[in-house]
Amino acid sequence: MNFFKKNTLFILMAVGILAALIFYSLNIPHKGNANVIERWVITVIAPIMKPFSQFSVFGEDVWDNYLDLVNVRRENLHLREDVKALNSRVIAAEEVCQANRRLTQLLDVKNTIKAPTLTATVIGEDLSPWYGTLVIDRGSSSGIVEGMAVEAAEGVVGQVVKVARTSSRVLLLTDHSSGIAATIQRSRARGVVKGKGDGLCQLEFTTREEDVKVGDMVVSSGIGGVFLKGLPIGEVTMVKRGEYGIFQTVTILPSVNISHLEDVLVVLRNSND
Amino acid sequence: MTKWGAMMIAIVSAVVLQSSVLPIYIASPFKPDLLLVFMVFLALRVPFMAGASLSWVLGLVKDIFSGIYLGLNALSFLLIFMVIKHISDRLYTGSAPLFVIAVSIATLSCASIDMLLLVMFTESPGIAYSMSAGLVPHLLVNAFIASLVPLIPGFDRLLETP
Repeated sequence: MNFFKKNTLFILMAVGILAALIFYSLNIPHKGNANVIERWVITVIAPIMKPFSQFSVFGEDVWDNYLDLVNVRRENLHLREDVKALNSRVIAAEEVCQANRRLTQLLDVKNTIKAPTLTATVIGEDLSPWYGTLVIDRGSSSGIVEGMAVEAAEGVVGQVVKVARTSSRVLLLTDHSSGIAATIQRSRARGVVKGKGDGLCQLEFTTREEDVKVGDMVVSSGIGGVFLKGLPIGEVTMVKRGEYGIFQTVTILPSVNISHLEDVLVVLRNSND
Repeated sequence: MTKWGAMMIAIVSAVVLQSSVLPIYIASPFKPDLLLVFMVFLALRVPFMAGASLSWVLGLVKDIFSGIYLGLNALSFLLIFMVIKHISDRLYTGSAPLFVIAVSIATLSCASIDMLLLVMFTESPGIAYSMSAGLVPHLLVNAFIASLVPLIPGFDRLLETP
């Protein structure tokens, strides 16, 4: 009896551990199912857990969204600056891409022209709505003289009319004073392309008998020596043959979009060369 | 800065604005004629001799950057200046509505004189049609610009004592 009295604690611990071990080993086969004790405890605790859990979520929300915002404003400002900087870089990159595309097209045209050329940038337009002239950033210091042909990637733009040291005025093919000797590419019918003023041109002095159809391409004929032969001028959009008269009325839409012109090629060769 | 220096800056700004800035944002028929508006302003504010010379110069500046006939607008500006100057003594020149009316009439007159001179002396077939077609928007834009000018401080002050 003394032995039990002396070692009560150890015996109880051993029994307890053994009981726990037996309990554990008995429950191993039923690991997938809740036993009576589990079910009872869960049933009692769950209703208490629910409001505490909801309160904890609320507390987390309050902490995250209202209290823990010490650096958010600073970070927001920083991010806004970053967005601005990135936006301007995207715009600049897009500008560079566009310029690259335009200049590549211009370079392709430059390689096809059998004369020395000079690239120029459009820096101004005519002050008046009823004349068609442009100002380019190249002048006599770059070797430009009056009468030289000006072209873009899409076709003929016009010719240089007034030259200063570092800039020149270009008379557009759509101006009333402009005249370019031209040919219908398909039928080889000849005429003179004159500006109509409203962004269109007219093929004049083409007799009624000549074969001209809507959609025909009009190219420079090379007569006069200003423009090289075969440069695209525009497309025929309307043909009118009246009952009387020698000539037919042919309206042309220029190949070049004058209002969006940014870079041009000046052909460094005048009619006397 | 002297008044003449300010005037030079105004002329250069008008040319740059009209030639290089506005065409990017507005269609061609809606281009204002800032030099014409400035000329009308001068006709109502500046003594005859100085104003006449300056009007001719303004027209010449317009010719340098517009069309190919040098002297065309110089002549029409001078004519319009003289007519406005002749009747301006009888007008209440500080009135903003009157300024808008004067600019509108000057726009019509300038287009008419230019058209007449071009048809009479140059080979510009179809120019009359183009100018007539574009006249109404041009007139409206000029009138709009003229309506803004009286908002400039000191609009109703004479630039120089006669």
